[in-house]
Amino acid sequence: MAARSKSAEKLSPLKVATFLMRPLSLMPLAPLQPLLAAALAVMRRQHPAVFERLDELGEPLFVIDPIDLPFIFAMRPAGLRPSLLAQREIDTDQATAIIRGPLPMLIDLLEGRLDGDALFFSRELSVEGDTEAVLVLRNAVDSDEINLFEDVLAILGPLAGPLRFAAEARNAVVTGWNAAR
Amino acid sequence: MNKSLTAKKLELVCPAGTPASLRAAVDAGADTVYLGFRDETNARNFPGLNFSRRELADGVAYAHDHNAKVLVAINTFPKAGDPEAWHQAVRDAEACGADAVILADIGLLAYTVEHHPKLRRHLSVQASASNKEAIRFYAREFDVKRVVLPRVLTVEEIAALNDNIPVETEVFVFGGLCVMAEGRCSLSSYVTGQSPNMNGVCSPASHVRYEEVGDQLVSKLGEFTINSFGEDEAAGYPTLCKGRFSVEGSVSYLFEDPTSLNAITMLDALMKAGVTALKIEGRQRGRAYVTQVVSAFRQAVDAASRGEAMPDLDMSLLTEGGQDTTGAYQKTWR
Repeated sequence: MAARSKSAEKLSPLKVATFLMRPLSLMPLAPLQPLLAAALAVMRRQHPAVFERLDELGEPLFVIDPIDLPFIFAMRPAGLRPSLLAQREIDTDQATAIIRGPLPMLIDLLEGRLDGDALFFSRELSVEGDTEAVLVLRNAVDSDEINLFEDVLAILGPLAGPLRFAAEARNAVVTGWNAAR
Repeated sequence: MNKSLTAKKLELVCPAGTPASLRAAVDAGADTVYLGFRDETNARNFPGLNFSRRELADGVAYAHDHNAKVLVAINTFPKAGDPEAWHQAVRDAEACGADAVILADIGLLAYTVEHHPKLRRHLSVQASASNKEAIRFYAREFDVKRVVLPRVLTVEEIAALNDNIPVETEVFVFGGLCVMAEGRCSLSSYVTGQSPNMNGVCSPASHVRYEEVGDQLVSKLGEFTINSFGEDEAAGYPTLCKGRFSVEGSVSYLFEDPTSLNAITMLDALMKAGVTALKIEGRQRGRAYVTQVVSAFRQAVDAASRGEAMPDLDMSLLTEGGQDTTGAYQKTWR
């Protein structure tokens, strides 16, 4: 048994999207910002208990640095003006904490498929800054069953149905393919 | 008193730091889940962790719907002259339908006996009751039904205890390995000013820093460097008992290496020693840890109860420092 479970290896639509996002190194990040803002708003609506646990932090700035993407996420999940922005660079002195790792791993961590302590022990996940704030964030996101794909679908309204159907069909094909190998 | 003659299936007692972890533990096959409130009344008072009263009530309902039990740890020692938060925790645990409370302080035990006599009482490992006289005292005076044994006893010592005490025993089988006299350790208190036993925090995160220095990962607790890990070396928690120190020019671990307890290969021996329940440590860990460890131990306990060989279950990637140990169960202490 491994910390990275079989379900974690499943190719989710979000991971495909991650792959497709790589060319963004050549593109402006502005088109991403409204999507990220909407994603954060949906997350706050779908998982209020998660954000309630973050309240004790005031207005922290978490820098999420997916090492396989050409930009970082600057996240202020709590306080009066929560925000999630994609940025090319940031003054890390302003950050409460910096969390660094490959994007698929960070997503698996967010969705509770991987254990943060195990990733830290194995040095796959790197953390700098306020350890207590990181712990609050980790415990908060782990307190509810977050499914990023479903949350993203919630933004899309009437488009969610066809996209879910396409994703399920694609997963069925991948599952069949893997079983046949 | 010899319960080892009537060995039955071991009860699997699993950690939950959050509602999602409780559901994960139950879904993975926990017989029982233990948890604490979001305050200093329990020994895992970590930021962002633990249960509100409403979350506890919902968790109890979920567990009971799936034939699992819920134990509430109220296992720190009340503040001198102000035990109300601890009394309130006992009242709320009973009101929320908890199956038992896990207590350490004799005052809180006495309060619970007097005001909540129907609420089942377990003795926390924090009471550090490790001999038959101590355990008999708690059984006689406070009618505790179960004692959680400290992680410093051998299997033979556990068997001898079980032959001489009138209560069930619960032993740790996986997770963080506290090697000190639990409930009495002040190592972390000296450095941080906060006590594991009073405030519920050993090496509180507010005092922990990890720094990248060259290719080394340096862990610090307060002003003290606890360890320095090389690039290819697995990291550990910044606890003083597992720190690496320089003494007279020689660098080594003084008390214990960064490692986790794993007694999955010893279930048969523990069953024969008369143990009632197996405890998995890790309320501070994520639900992925809970799912994987509980699933593995569910398989192992079921195999042991059928007298079958232990399945091959590798949990090394979940362990502190990437290593595990059978601890005092088989260990000769330095």
